[in-house]
Amino acid sequence: MLNYTLRRLMAVIPTILILIVFCFFLMRLAPGGPFTSERPLPPAVMKNVLERYGLDEPLYVQLWTYLKNIILHFDFGPSFSQKDRTVNDLIAQGFPVTLTYGFFSALFVLALGVPLGVIAALRHNSFWDYVMTGLAIFSQIFPNFVLAPIMVLLFTLSWGLLPGGGWNGGQWPYVIMPAVALGTSYMASVARLTRGSLLETLSAGYIRTARAKGLPERTVLIRHALKPALLPVISYMGPVFVYMITGSVFIDIFFSTGGIGQNFIDAAYTRDYAVILGLAILYSVLTFALLLIVDLIYAWIDPKIRSGL
Amino acid sequence: MRAKKIMSSPEFAQAAAEEMINSRSFWADARIRFFKNKMAVISVTLLFGLVLFASFGQFFAQWSYEEIDWSVLGRVKEAGGPSLENGHYFGVDELGRDLYARVVQGSRVSLLVGFLAAIIAVCIGATMGAIAGYYGGRTDQIIVGALNITLSIPYIIFFVVWQAFFGRSLMQMILVMVIINWTAGLLIVRGQVQTLKNKEFVDAARMLGMSDAKIIFKHILPNMLWVIVIYMSISIPEMIMYESLVSFLGVGIQEPNTSWGALISEGAKTMTFGTLWQLLYPAAFFVIAQVSLYYIGDGLRDALDPKERS
Amino acid sequence: MTLLSVQDLSIRFRTPDGYVHAVNNVSFDIEEGEKLAVVGESGSGKSQIALAILGLLANNAEASGRILYKGQNLLDLPRREMNKIRAKEISIIFQDPMSSLNPYMTVERQLNEILELHEGLRGRAARSRVLEVMEAVQIPDAKNRLKSYPHEFSGGMRQRIVIAMALLCRPKLILADEPTTALDVTVQAQIMHLLEDIQKEYGSSIMLITHDLGVVAGFCNETLVLYGGRVMERAGTAAIFAAPAHPYTRGLMRAVPNIHDPSATLQSIPGQPPNQTRPLVHCPFAGRCGDSLEACFDILPELSPAPHQRACIRAVEELT
Repeated sequence: MLNYTLRRLMAVIPTILILIVFCFFLMRLAPGGPFTSERPLPPAVMKNVLERYGLDEPLYVQLWTYLKNIILHFDFGPSFSQKDRTVNDLIAQGFPVTLTYGFFSALFVLALGVPLGVIAALRHNSFWDYVMTGLAIFSQIFPNFVLAPIMVLLFTLSWGLLPGGGWNGGQWPYVIMPAVALGTSYMASVARLTRGSLLETLSAGYIRTARAKGLPERTVLIRHALKPALLPVISYMGPVFVYMITGSVFIDIFFSTGGIGQNFIDAAYTRDYAVILGLAILYSVLTFALLLIVDLIYAWIDPKIRSGL
Repeated sequence: MRAKKIMSSPEFAQAAAEEMINSRSFWADARIRFFKNKMAVISVTLLFGLVLFASFGQFFAQWSYEEIDWSVLGRVKEAGGPSLENGHYFGVDELGRDLYARVVQGSRVSLLVGFLAAIIAVCIGATMGAIAGYYGGRTDQIIVGALNITLSIPYIIFFVVWQAFFGRSLMQMILVMVIINWTAGLLIVRGQVQTLKNKEFVDAARMLGMSDAKIIFKHILPNMLWVIVIYMSISIPEMIMYESLVSFLGVGIQEPNTSWGALISEGAKTMTFGTLWQLLYPAAFFVIAQVSLYYIGDGLRDALDPKERS
Repeated sequence: MTLLSVQDLSIRFRTPDGYVHAVNNVSFDIEEGEKLAVVGESGSGKSQIALAILGLLANNAEASGRILYKGQNLLDLPRREMNKIRAKEISIIFQDPMSSLNPYMTVERQLNEILELHEGLRGRAARSRVLEVMEAVQIPDAKNRLKSYPHEFSGGMRQRIVIAMALLCRPKLILADEPTTALDVTVQAQIMHLLEDIQKEYGSSIMLITHDLGVVAGFCNETLVLYGGRVMERAGTAAIFAAPAHPYTRGLMRAVPNIHDPSATLQSIPGQPPNQTRPLVHCPFAGRCGDSLEACFDILPELSPAPHQRACIRAVEELT
């Protein structure tokens, strides 16, 4: 198990390094820069600015400094567009917000998706089964950027139940809509996947064996069927986390949560390469970390993989 | 020599003939199955309507999509709603521009980007899958490795980074979406090719001295057409969604051009002012497109996928 | 003493294309200590009978008739009552050892949950009992393999585990559904010997479901021949092998290689298995029978009385 973890880490670290190097050169080679505005700066000022951000050094020196700062000090350098602020400041400010509603969103996806799928599978072709099919189609048709405005329209503008944006220190009324809007479509996919996978598991030979033992149906379900049925769901959570990280950018923008997504898009507008790059690296590391965790959990649960590690 | 013998043998001729007959009846059967599916047929009609709307809708507009109607500007909420009298069938947007004309324009961009990106991406995916499956070994490892990396990229992040560095044009947008989605259908085609490459007709072609490229494109990929069709039908709505999401975030299509996502974004920003039509018209078009593409994809899968058929 | 009595059992399955009649008015008894073979080709409904006894039929199945065990009809038994009988009084050995063990649970857990449920045994007591049975089915090094998962065993070993599972509570009746079909021939013989030894030791009755007459001849004292979900013939195994009294049984015998006369040609029974989408109105074998008369297509023959029961309108002497 430890071996496997180390091996996976060994694969992830070079990938991230390559990614940083790639992004770094992309950033420096890209046409234009944060300081090429319509009105060119006087050469003296320009020189001053470049010096301040270390842009006058040879590229490889810049890269080396950048890498060194990230690895040794977890320091992504100063922002180009926001004076006196570092990328780290922005992350420290926005990341907890994104992480908070992201966590609740993931919770919502699993805590609602899995039971719904289980019920739909057990009451095959019943009301709940149809609810779920409907939900699956619904979530395909209303992705989060259509769903979110509709939710605000209903819950804020029409019924006045929930605030339509803002964060307010993460009080729960402010967390609900971002979390639900981010998670709904994945919740539906998780429910659908759980249903299909549980139906398949319940028709397996070993479930019949479990029944032949005289176990009550509850025990058959919980002890014998749930674990194998949830394995595909667990491995699906990897991509779901990737999608949710992606979706969080939209949620940050739409609900003005103050999460890092807002900084990311702002940086894209102002070509603040330091911020874009820092956040892109952060998002990627987060992605790899979550994918790794999902894989490890999967491997830990499945004895066939565990014993082969 | 041996290849020639195989080719001219009556068995081969018969096998080839059977192959053709089978494939003909395969598509004919699929067509029958597809047209039996009511939702799919309705959806095809709807989608066709959307395409017509996007192509010729501007001929019925009384305003262009850039023109500002000064007579309603400043009192959009009162005077800018949908109306036949002043020619703004869908009302005007926040800047007093004709929403009907803008929805036509937006539909055109969204459909164009969605279809083009999906078709190119799936063609690349299928070709890569065929190459990976056909050659195996190192080649296969590299392609599958690249696929795994691609799948673990959060696409919006990539999209935004790319747009920030290389600017925002329609071509760039299609390019990024192809890069994000080039893996569509790859694994299925790869798996199919791995089984197909040992079939006699491929052997025969190889012995005739046909180049690998020719074998892949002339003999293997045509057999994979059903996978390609299914993946296109899945990818198109996905691509439309990506484009819309990115445009919603304001890093996609640029003014005065627009797309469904950009229009929905503008509508969502102004809905607190009571100009709901600005959200609902574009959202309705987006939803209709997604619904019909969903059912078309569903119908195609039912009609074509051997696993669904049995 | 009659242990289990199946009376007029019919099983049909609801399918999108209508009903499939898998078992049609089957009646038979199993005595205490008896080894009954139920023989028939696939689709003859033999497995479904075993599943019906334990109430394990698929959701789309409808069973009618009676299965009497200790004075109660198992078909009407509520799930809660049925659960007390399963594994404790009547156990089953499924055909495929690859799929009948849970791949995500240790072998010990899969065995001791039975003891926990039916005998309230836990911990050390359960473990020693599990070990005892695992040794009885000759799993080498059982002690160190308790914590292993099914995929760490070979097919033959897995089937031994499945058998151990069926023996754990020393049930009165063991339903063995093709217990050796999925295994190598050498392993098959070992497993059959094992079953025989255990049956002797425990005194359980066995209902062995198989399509392999060779297995039947060496193992069972009674034989029941099924065709098209209907009993064709039932008698002592020796009697059936010496003088098969039904055209279908005779056909089966001819399809088995004879070691005493290797030159004899093997004959398969011509024709297709019966269409089960309609209720039976005549002998299901009539269409493939070399001895059929016109009347065979009108009458559904009843089973003649014991000891040698047969369902055929033609006299034994008239058969080819």
